[in-house]
Amino acid sequence: MGKKKRGHPDVEELLARPWCYYCERDFEDLKLLISHQKAKHFKCERCGKRLNTAGGLSVHMNQVHKETLTSVENALPNRQGLDVEIFGMEGVPDDIVQQHNQRIIQNFYTAQAERQAATGNPPRGQSGGQGPAKKIKYETPEELKKRLAEHRAKVAAQKAAAANGVAPATAPVDGQSPAQSASPFPPPQPGYPYPAPGVPGVPGVPPYPATQAYPPTAAYPPGPSPPPGATAPFPLPARPPSGPAAPGAAPPYYYNGPGAPPPGYPAVPGAVASTVDDLVANAARQGSAGGAADDIDQMIRMAEAGIRPPAAKNGTQAEEGGGAAGEKKKKEMRMVYADTEVSPEEKMAMLSRYRWVEETAA
Amino acid sequence: MAPATQFEVAQPPKDAISSLAFAPGAEKRRLLVSSWDRNVYLYEIANGAEEANLLGAFEHRAPVLDVCFGSSPDEAFTAGLDRQVKRIDLSTGEQTVMSRHSEAVRCVVYSAEHSLLISASWDSTLHVHNTANPSQPPMTIQLPGKPHAVAASPTKVVVAMTARLVHIYDLPTLASALSSSSQPAQPPQTWQQRESSLKFLTRAVACMPNDAGYATSSIEGRVAVEWFEDSAESQARKYAFKCHRQAAPEEEGGGDVVYPVNALAFHPVYGTFASGGGDGTVALWDAEAKRRMRQYQKFPDSVAALAFSLDGKYLAIGVCPGFETGMEDYSGEGRTKLFIRELGETEAKGKGSK
Repeated sequence: MGKKKRGHPDVEELLARPWCYYCERDFEDLKLLISHQKAKHFKCERCGKRLNTAGGLSVHMNQVHKETLTSVENALPNRQGLDVEIFGMEGVPDDIVQQHNQRIIQNFYTAQAERQAATGNPPRGQSGGQGPAKKIKYETPEELKKRLAEHRAKVAAQKAAAANGVAPATAPVDGQSPAQSASPFPPPQPGYPYPAPGVPGVPGVPPYPATQAYPPTAAYPPGPSPPPGATAPFPLPARPPSGPAAPGAAPPYYYNGPGAPPPGYPAVPGAVASTVDDLVANAARQGSAGGAADDIDQMIRMAEAGIRPPAAKNGTQAEEGGGAAGEKKKKEMRMVYADTEVSPEEKMAMLSRYRWVEETAA
Repeated sequence: MAPATQFEVAQPPKDAISSLAFAPGAEKRRLLVSSWDRNVYLYEIANGAEEANLLGAFEHRAPVLDVCFGSSPDEAFTAGLDRQVKRIDLSTGEQTVMSRHSEAVRCVVYSAEHSLLISASWDSTLHVHNTANPSQPPMTIQLPGKPHAVAASPTKVVVAMTARLVHIYDLPTLASALSSSSQPAQPPQTWQQRESSLKFLTRAVACMPNDAGYATSSIEGRVAVEWFEDSAESQARKYAFKCHRQAAPEEEGGGDVVYPVNALAFHPVYGTFASGGGDGTVALWDAEAKRRMRQYQKFPDSVAALAFSLDGKYLAIGVCPGFETGMEDYSGEGRTKLFIRELGETEAKGKGSK
């Protein structure tokens, strides 16, 4: 194995890279990091002066512009605070350093495993044979359907058990679908990869994930509530802020304009495909129509959604319903104003506070 | 670097701001503000001092949805919820009704080049007035949907409606149709009919000062930039991007909170544009280089309206609570604010495309 590393640095190299507390970008060397921080995070938006620290900028804003700095610019949402004094790598809180390292390590192993799976090469310094599976295993829609059916039966059984008063204590483990446990890696955490601010440490992520399977439950909060596998796979949760949408009424979101709904978007108003059956049927139909790989991918995502409670929210489903139209996978989103037909002004105009009633001509 | 300052106007409207407009004629720093409190306010930015003085308020019968200046800094036109399009003489305060629609009037735009006043109403019509001849009744153009935003460039007027319809009219055509003897049997045709490049309800439209194209924004945190010219290469240049979004905290399920983009305004000199969103931020964009130039510090509430002064020196920012899905009631009282930002020399200057 005299071959070169092909540009994939090893963990130690990755961990040694300096990185920015405010935006998690990493850099070749400390000098670059510091100039990045000065340009991106500690630059005065009034006069362009670059300061060395957030505190310095705060003082500058105060003295020169008589303004108060409230947050660090261009920072990640939970890193905007002025309470930590950062300069280069100095001042980064220990727990944040650990989180960062954890993430680097996890990403590294995931990437490494993906490369191995994709190329079929054994890990460096190891002869082939007992490495991880050589190729990503693709399953036919039938196989997936069968597995989903099994999963559904299990869920139903658990539900029944729960209804009979048996606490589904083992649900999280049993509820794992084979698709999930067959994967040697934890599913990528949806959305933002860092623990919420205020959560001490990194309880969810085990240190140095092994490249072989480890109990996937570790990625979820332990304890019976909510039992990930025990909830119905596709509940229709109340849309948080979208007002009193009557069930069965046309969903106020997405494509109810004159533009025809894209293929794959459920045509029946209100019928966000609500059962795994529907979804499987849908996906299978599309699978036979063409673009099988895409549809299998979608089915896997759906299968995962069924057992991944934090991600399985309504918005995602609506998105995924539309996803068949070839749109790229979208993050779940929540619109502050979501009526696609009636403007906010029209709604305001109907409030008694503003309403105008034309005097009837006498 | 030249100073860039921002100040809050001392006497803001008492309720939500619907529109802002700076006066024509660079010597005057006059600013009109229409409000849901039934008034149109006229401010003047003090020379040298960081304040704007209230010159007058003009009361209407109902909330005012839009305002624009006419041919002089003493003439204004307003669009009212009371279905009237009004002309206000700002020096005397005299109000005359220009025309009546059968529903609330959403927008008014004035084209100084053609002496045309165009009003758009929720009765799905445009009224085109010849301001050079006020006695002449306005020409009515039927629209296929309710208009939500209208903007005029030197030769075009862009009307964004429900169902993502966008109609573009040619101003010279409208002007000649209006001046030709009596009312023509057929109102003039649209110059172009387009479908919005955005999938959601259009929130704002603004035209490029160089008459090349326009930008639209939607309730779904997105802005599209497109060009008037109907050639394939021009149309291939159009693009849209996401903005005015915030990552939701993980405990709320993560993902993005998506705010409507309520306001767009092009810088009259540099051709860059500003967008204001429900997230309370204003961002400056370089349409050519497709880059965000800057984003200003968050305002306390949703940004409802934006306007650049004609010389591009000032940016007026109307801030009030945004109307959100599920709201049963709404009031902008006490939370409506008006900010004026004096831009630095190169603050809004784009770098040009790379």
